[in-house]
Amino acid sequence: MAAVPRARLLDLMKVQCQIFSTTYNPDGIRTGNKILRQRLRGPTLAKYYPPRGPTINTLEKEFKPWNLETINEQEEDRQEHLAGVRSRGKGAPKKKRTAPAATDKKR
Amino acid sequence: MSRPNMIRPIRHALLRQLAQQPRNALAGFLSTRSQSTTVADNVKPGPPQLVNELPDPREENETRLPRAVQALYLQPLRREAEYGVPSCDLQLRSFSIPNLEFFCDFAIRAAYYLGLPAFGPVPLPKITERWTVPRSHFIFKKSQENFERITRRRLIQIRDGHPETVQIWLAFLQKHAHYGIGMKANIWEYGKLEIGKQMDGELKSMQEVIEQKMEHLGRDKTLGTVEKVKELLASERFRHTR
Amino acid sequence: MSMFRAKKLDLGCFINIKTIRDHSKRKAFAQHEPERQALRYIIRNTTLPARTRAEAQLQLTRMHCYTRPTQIRGRCLLGGKGRGILRDFKMSRYNFRMQALEGNIPGVQKASW
Repeated sequence: MAAVPRARLLDLMKVQCQIFSTTYNPDGIRTGNKILRQRLRGPTLAKYYPPRGPTINTLEKEFKPWNLETINEQEEDRQEHLAGVRSRGKGAPKKKRTAPAATDKKR
Repeated sequence: MSRPNMIRPIRHALLRQLAQQPRNALAGFLSTRSQSTTVADNVKPGPPQLVNELPDPREENETRLPRAVQALYLQPLRREAEYGVPSCDLQLRSFSIPNLEFFCDFAIRAAYYLGLPAFGPVPLPKITERWTVPRSHFIFKKSQENFERITRRRLIQIRDGHPETVQIWLAFLQKHAHYGIGMKANIWEYGKLEIGKQMDGELKSMQEVIEQKMEHLGRDKTLGTVEKVKELLASERFRHTR
Repeated sequence: MSMFRAKKLDLGCFINIKTIRDHSKRKAFAQHEPERQALRYIIRNTTLPARTRAEAQLQLTRMHCYTRPTQIRGRCLLGGKGRGILRDFKMSRYNFRMQALEGNIPGVQKASW
């Protein structure tokens, strides 16, 4: 089998690329086009954690202008517990307005 | 319909099925035409009955269920494909078998009523994923536990189907999709050899429709990089280098 | 770091400072990915002048670490753990085992063959 001249092979490659609409690169120069072809995976990675869903608190805030009564059991339980604690005198102390004075009695 | 009227056709159907041929395989061209009949057709010469069936005098005057409903109690009917050229491959995947088989049955019945010759359901090989996980939340690697997830698959092939009818069938299945089943379909359409010229002629009129569909393909996601490249190369830092 | 964190917490799963940071990194990466890919393309394109490619390299190194994909780590949704995560379930191995034994993961069963 006689070797085919390179010019003919290049012509063949050119026609092939024309037909199949691919890029013609006979010398195999690194053009970096493979990065342009890569699929972007930002959106899929960003959706890893589930988003925060609506809760009773959000509903309360939404319907505040409507003056609707919402029964938030957890909030009511918490308030009851705090009321009990305060009645026993064990509630949280009042917040100090000024910074506490630095007490260096002895160094 | 009162209960005894519904039960009677089932009894007949079940007894008749004992003499039926087995379910047709994909390769074969046997078409099982299960006859859903009542008392009157008993006289027809069919396959030999294994059970003695005498016409019930009570049933002669009773009204029967509609044929489509009677067909529900029997094996699904299938259309015959004249050329056998595949038009659509529908693969159904699920973790549970009864679910899957029920939906396959539903799909084949739907194909019959749309006039599409459906072949299947062909069971494809199972996909088994396995994970081995230590039993404890801290050390003790030596005691582990194996978990697996088996995906069962079925293939329904439609041959000689008109592309629009196939799309209607697929849309119908999507609308009435059963829970826990994933579907994937490959569709083939055939055109003439001058398809290139035809498509060029249609391009202008179809431009809008094509753009709408191309958005779904996500091509603009890679175009983001190209636009950014142009932007960067035109920016100040890179303009000095040119 | 604080420039990328959301003003209002938008995580629905187990909340942990590490989880919040990972979520911020993921969002920052998604936002800057086209720019990063463009710079990578410029670096790899041998037909462009060498000065352009060097400038692109510099710019890429100067981008914030939160925009890098290598900084992102899969975390357990239920426990916030960073090690021993199964990608298919986004859970650590112990949590996966507990949920699988309860029956909360569809299709997963104890294997025996």
